[in-house]
Amino acid sequence: MKLVYVISLLMLAAGAQGQLCSYKLSGTVTTETSELLAGATVELIPGAITATDDQGRFQFDRLCKGRYTIRVRFIGFEPYESAITIPETGTMLIVLIIQKTVLEVIEVHDHFEHVARTNNQVTLTGSVLEQTRGQSLGEALKKISGVSSIQTGPSIFKPVIHGLHSQRILILNNGIRQEGQQWGAEHAPEIDPFIASNIIVIKDASAIKYGTDALGGVVVVNPADLPEQKGVGGEINVVGQTNGRAVTMSGLVEGGSEKIKGFGWRVQGTGRKSGDSHTPAYNLSNTGFTELNFSLAAGIHKEAKGIDVFVSRFQSELGILKGSSISSTEDLRNAMNREPPQFTQPFTYTIENPRQVVAHNLLKVKGHVHSDYGDFKFQYGFQYNSRQEFDIRRTSLNNLPAIDLDLFTHTLDAEWQQHTSQKFSSNAGINGMIQVNNNVPGTQRIPFIPDFTSVSAGLFYVGKLNLQTWLVDFGARYDYRHYDVAGFDFANRSYTDSYSFGNASFSFGASRTFGSRGVFTANLASSWRPPHVSELYSFGVHQSAAAIEYGLLLDLATGEVLDINSVNFQNEKALKWVNTWRIAKSRFTTELTGYLNYIFNYIYLEPYGVTQTVRGVYPFFRYTQTDATFIGADWFGKLAVAKNFTVASKIGLLRAADQTNNDYLIYIPPNRYELSAEWIKTLREDGQTLSLEAWGTFIDQQRRAPRVVSVDEILDAYAQQEDPFENDNRNFDFTAPPPAYFLLNLQAGFSHKLNNSKLDLRLRATNLLNNAYREYTNRMRYYADEVGRNIALSLKLSF
Amino acid sequence: MLHLKNKAMNNVIRKLVILPLAFSLLLSGCDDDPAREDVPELITQVKLTFTPVAGGSVVVVTATDPDGNGPQDLVADGPIELMQSTTYDLSIELFNGLLDPTDDGYNLTAEIEEEAGEHQFFFRFSADVFSTPTGTGNIKDNPSTPVSDINYLDEDINSRPLGLVTRWTTDNVEVSDKSFRIVLKHQPGIKSDTSTSLDGETDVDITFVLLVYLS
Repeated sequence: MKLVYVISLLMLAAGAQGQLCSYKLSGTVTTETSELLAGATVELIPGAITATDDQGRFQFDRLCKGRYTIRVRFIGFEPYESAITIPETGTMLIVLIIQKTVLEVIEVHDHFEHVARTNNQVTLTGSVLEQTRGQSLGEALKKISGVSSIQTGPSIFKPVIHGLHSQRILILNNGIRQEGQQWGAEHAPEIDPFIASNIIVIKDASAIKYGTDALGGVVVVNPADLPEQKGVGGEINVVGQTNGRAVTMSGLVEGGSEKIKGFGWRVQGTGRKSGDSHTPAYNLSNTGFTELNFSLAAGIHKEAKGIDVFVSRFQSELGILKGSSISSTEDLRNAMNREPPQFTQPFTYTIENPRQVVAHNLLKVKGHVHSDYGDFKFQYGFQYNSRQEFDIRRTSLNNLPAIDLDLFTHTLDAEWQQHTSQKFSSNAGINGMIQVNNNVPGTQRIPFIPDFTSVSAGLFYVGKLNLQTWLVDFGARYDYRHYDVAGFDFANRSYTDSYSFGNASFSFGASRTFGSRGVFTANLASSWRPPHVSELYSFGVHQSAAAIEYGLLLDLATGEVLDINSVNFQNEKALKWVNTWRIAKSRFTTELTGYLNYIFNYIYLEPYGVTQTVRGVYPFFRYTQTDATFIGADWFGKLAVAKNFTVASKIGLLRAADQTNNDYLIYIPPNRYELSAEWIKTLREDGQTLSLEAWGTFIDQQRRAPRVVSVDEILDAYAQQEDPFENDNRNFDFTAPPPAYFLLNLQAGFSHKLNNSKLDLRLRATNLLNNAYREYTNRMRYYADEVGRNIALSLKLSF
Repeated sequence: MLHLKNKAMNNVIRKLVILPLAFSLLLSGCDDDPAREDVPELITQVKLTFTPVAGGSVVVVTATDPDGNGPQDLVADGPIELMQSTTYDLSIELFNGLLDPTDDGYNLTAEIEEEAGEHQFFFRFSADVFSTPTGTGNIKDNPSTPVSDINYLDEDINSRPLGLVTRWTTDNVEVSDKSFRIVLKHQPGIKSDTSTSLDGETDVDITFVLLVYLS
């Protein structure tokens, strides 16, 4: 695990003799595993501040002779601090082992950590994060082994950690629990990845500090610290892509103040526009999107206290493949037999129905105080999420959304942390949340989910023990949630309901360093989540799925809403055990993670029967509970074959099963294998590099998929007055999983440093061979192939 | 010193308490009595009326789904019982049975008529029931399913068939346990001279039992 880090600083001092202020200081920041750390903050005190580039390098020019302090910070890492004297002669190599120091500061500004040291985690940062620029958050996270995505067409990606997604993943956006309409598998996280300087994926279930829902893991999106030194800096990103003829532009300007010490600010914005994507053979009509985001941040930090304000807005309109708009099982059969999909037309940027219009607004105010009694943090967040979904409807209704939801969330967190001794520290806090979900009237449809108000409260304690080679963390938490619900049943009759859920969770983690043989981290954590109202009450035909789904609380005979006490509902709870062995040598790094996640009372849609409506015969599914297991392994290995040449490999394996019914689960990501080779050449010592990378991805067929029951089999059985699901509730799919596929990708990067700025150019070709394939975890796989070759040119200017 | 720190902390706390209060004022609470939607798209009842062209008793069959998307099956109130060698005009009406008959939106037939340019009814029936049309109708299971013509008596603005009114002549036979299936397709922007029952989205798909009596 990444507990042991080396920050090695290669310091080169230069400068003409005799001149007083013409010295240079440059160096490289890397992890212990020789991974180059890009985006780390390097401060030279007094004087200047900069950040490392793609290659982990930094440089200070025009330095005067004298003594300085150099400080290197990076979220997720122990800060490094050392005194140096300029001019510095010769080469310096500084090796730091993080867990042997006392503090474990993750977010320097408030001295509280987002990630425990004994978490099994992977950080996406620097050049790896840069490669994903132009992609959505869910797509970018696929770079991490053990993370895949569930997809709806070419533009909607949701992260999947170890087989779990949506309500079973917690996303922390700048320290705030992201609260959108996560229940829908076609509802992508409303986060602009450009705000992140790094993204951490915690593969444990231990989100003791953040509350419920982290059954699969946690995604932590961290912006960089606000600058504290005088001066203005920023960056501009421009990405153009051939597939979809897409353009992404993002800009960031930040600065510090000389007058007000410790004051920093940042303004950031992103715009994206894409037309229809295309497969190797045809256009994917109505898959374009537009996105417009901005964020503003300001903060002032003194030695003992500080306050931060952050405001952001994410806004997008997404087209859904028009050919996936169906309204009966026969329509589904027709669509599966048809290629290209119906409604296929020439390329356009125009977005028609079906489409989604989504906006997410966030206000965050955070304050922290350091006192003799410990460090205190207070954080208030307000989120307003609005989501409209438009279906193909009759002309008179086409402009009305079929789903129109407003979600308001207030969160209030208070946290305390104290180092009681060199060996022991305590962290405790309370979290409160009030959430209101309203259906906006005017859809002319019975709402798919009801209105609700929920009030939640949580209390936690985490203790940390530091015994040199051993690190031990343990924590416990209790959460309570109350729901008031008001909705309409199938006959448009209103109902109201009210109930509460409460549960405790715990986590225990330990990490042991075995010198040069590596670090072993083990974490055992429980977590739980209250059911979402969609699982309790949803009622209706699921868009493009040709299935009717019923909530857990609906009576199947009468369709009426039942009392929760009459259905034997149990909270969904996970017990996840994750072990990571990490070896880091100078030329070779490897990381192996094995995990077992046992989920009690796992809520899923069980095929229950067949019903005939006016639109024909439908299979119907009911939310029910079972016990499920997710067992898997992630492997990452990197070998420096030569000075400029590295090869790397990633493997993600997963076996999921329904334990109670001895069955397979649907939409489980198949096994993934990736092999890459990278060559980096320094063209000029003063900052010009060229890199070439090739990588191939092999995605196996999902061989552990539920049985296939085709539409014709359902219709034939029904015609003979049989119900194929009446006595056989095993999961099924309308078609077999798509075959395995291989994709080849290439990338060339060029980086050039000017005086105070830096230019990065990147040319990237994905699916270079233009293969036609389908992805098992893409909900559009019934209808169309995946996107074909895409060539992206990206330009980044940092100043 | 300690006092100063606490004062600073109090200031932070005060700011953090006032802000949420200000925002909760902006927030509309959960309505205990949310607005009820009209649901004009929900079809729960399909009524077929066979009127003998030469006069005689009218045959009416209604299929009703009591709970829309609920688990209860659609039920027809009986088979279609036609007389041999008789010509009928079939008119189809659609209703939302969850509304009262006096409500707007109860009868959906007029809406289909208004949007005739993007709707079409398709039919499939057992062979040897009708003398005209012949064959088994124009519903396709796949692109190569053979089709036969239907006598549409109405058309849209582009002179393409709609099918709310069609004409049928029974053969000189006595049959029972035959089938008669109607499919209404919504084909926005894709209804054309060559579009078929495989195009568009399904609004109605019901199979009735059909009998023909000797007169």
